[in-house]
Amino acid sequence: MTGGSWLCLLAPLAGTILILLGGSWLPRVAAGWIATTSVFVAFAGAVWAFFGVRDSAGHHGEITTAWTWLQSGSFKVGLELLVDPLSAMMMLIVSGVSGLIILYSIGYMDGDEEERRYFAYIAFFVFSMLLLVEGGNLLMLLIGWGLVGLSSYLLIGFWHERPSAVAAAKKAFVMNAFGDATMVLAFFVLIAHANSLSFGVLNAHLSSTQANLVALGLLGGAVAKSAQIPLQTWLPDAMEGPTPVSALIHAATMVTAGVYLIARTHPIFEQARTIELIAAGAGALTLLVAGLIALVQTDIKRVIAYSTMSQIGYMFLGAGVGGYANGMFHLMTHAFFKALLFLAAGLAIHALAGEQDIRNMRGLGRVMPFTKWCFLAGALALVGVPPFAGFFSKDPIIASTLNIGWYGYIFYACGIAGAFLTGLYTFRLWFLVFPGEPSPFVREHYHDHHGREGAWTMLVPVGVLGVLATVGGWIQWPPLWEPITHWLAPVAPTLAAAEVSSTQEYVTSAVTVLVGVAGIALAWAIYSEQKLAIPAAPFWRRLLENKFYFDALYDRIFYAPSAGTATFLRREFEEPVVLQTGPDLGEATLETGGLVRRIQTGLLRTYVLFLAAGAAGVVLAFLIAK
Amino acid sequence: MLGPDTAWYLAVAAVLFGIGALGVLIRRNTLVVLLSLELMLNAGNLALIALSRHWHNGAGQIFALAVMAVAASEVCVGLGLVVALNRRDLSLDVDTLSELRG
Repeated sequence: MTGGSWLCLLAPLAGTILILLGGSWLPRVAAGWIATTSVFVAFAGAVWAFFGVRDSAGHHGEITTAWTWLQSGSFKVGLELLVDPLSAMMMLIVSGVSGLIILYSIGYMDGDEEERRYFAYIAFFVFSMLLLVEGGNLLMLLIGWGLVGLSSYLLIGFWHERPSAVAAAKKAFVMNAFGDATMVLAFFVLIAHANSLSFGVLNAHLSSTQANLVALGLLGGAVAKSAQIPLQTWLPDAMEGPTPVSALIHAATMVTAGVYLIARTHPIFEQARTIELIAAGAGALTLLVAGLIALVQTDIKRVIAYSTMSQIGYMFLGAGVGGYANGMFHLMTHAFFKALLFLAAGLAIHALAGEQDIRNMRGLGRVMPFTKWCFLAGALALVGVPPFAGFFSKDPIIASTLNIGWYGYIFYACGIAGAFLTGLYTFRLWFLVFPGEPSPFVREHYHDHHGREGAWTMLVPVGVLGVLATVGGWIQWPPLWEPITHWLAPVAPTLAAAEVSSTQEYVTSAVTVLVGVAGIALAWAIYSEQKLAIPAAPFWRRLLENKFYFDALYDRIFYAPSAGTATFLRREFEEPVVLQTGPDLGEATLETGGLVRRIQTGLLRTYVLFLAAGAAGVVLAFLIAK
Repeated sequence: MLGPDTAWYLAVAAVLFGIGALGVLIRRNTLVVLLSLELMLNAGNLALIALSRHWHNGAGQIFALAVMAVAASEVCVGLGLVVALNRRDLSLDVDTLSELRG
């Protein structure tokens, strides 16, 4: 099973290197196929590792060490991979969904100027993500974490001729770097007090201050990577990247890393229970805020982006209250249906020559029936209508908040309200885009791909994900059967506080579905039948359209002071001191040179005279010294 | 010891060197300057050989041979330059060759 993990990790890296070395020798199409093949090879490695873990006794996993990488006194870090139930599950999700998305990219990126660079980056991204989930100690995890940040920067800014894409890439990178920094600080605390960065050290007994600090640092990293409040503002902007990148980063892999981190490092969070509940609170808040903002977005990808934030809020809530398996299960189903939604949206955007404004898309379902039904499957899974995937994974998260204390009821209310919002914004999108007669814009701009809705490389992944989004949730239906909970039990057992009774489970399911369907019904009444007017409420509308003023606030607090300082320094220091010093130095040098150059007469006799005088001087000096 | 005292040889060498140095300093013709340089080198040779005999040490004679080799190559280069100057119809006056003035 360790062979599988190395294969899984190194195949995408090999793909990247091959594409980079091949350069322009490589035909354009070949780059895409190399990347796709390498990631499917990684998936095969993941399957191998999965069966290895399944057949091993006790499912405790195994660490393989390539070599000792860093050693300083008694502190030692190896180049290690860890294969255990949790990492095997993540490997399967990451490599499987990524493989489908990269296959889709072959059709989507066809004809782009810099296809090869795209595929090299995207294979590198998969490698980074796999390193993150397979890393056998905290340092390896951090390396993967940092590389994921780097490759997401490269991919978000892939269309580097667009200033907005470059700005979005920078924003994502800076926010992620902030999270990386807090994680590193947490690691310093661990090294100082426990002298190790292995995962086992998280079980070590730390004082409550130390445990809180470490957990807080890790939470900072998780919140930044997973775009939760207060570090959420980069995710919607990151939609500037190509649509498959959005599907890959913002659905299947990168943003879920925070949930993985909490599940992986849960012992320290359990020592610092307050911090863990803060994580749950951040999730609950984010799922509401993101759901509200999604109501007023007009860009198809941004609506889905906010819904991603919202769904990751659910995962944080689930993992934060101690139901790690619930969070991981929702991560899995979310990877399916969110990748599906993004890729289906990509089909629409591709067929409409890059249009992303949903107000122009009315009636698209008439010309794109396949996209329409796949998107519907994804939307129903997102809202959590049975038997689609989201139904099975979202409800246990909401139910698991019931027994943790009084704040559990607040979380519960947030979860239910979030389910309503999910139904409303998802089907607002659906009713605006797909049903009805095609709008003039659609008639004018729609162009098919040889009589189909897209290249087969694009349609196949969407179809596969459509099936997965439909049936992917049947794997677990608490409390009737819970294979994922049992699978993860050796690594991340559910806390007793997050256990709920069957009745609570059933009632929650019923309530959530009803509320979700109510959201759908409201969306239908407003956007399809137009029986209800959109509430005017200008204040709320402005608040939502400005995304609760988070961007403006961060501008005021962080950007404005530093920009002000920079302007001040430029005016008071750079211009008078630095810029003036150069010319001054130059003039002084010229003047000195003008004085000295008179000696250079160009006359041979002068030089000889100086020579002779010098020699005489030396002789005289020797004579005197004697 | 045969012949005059070492001091006489050195005196002759000093006089020769002085004439040569003066020639380099005040003459303007490139050829004459070269000649004066040769004179200075040979004054040095004379001093070397005189002292070699004075101290009964052969090294001075070897030095003199080396100086002759240097002088020969210097004449080659110097005369080559003179010929080149002449071919280009440039003046042989060293004072007019002042391109390197600062």
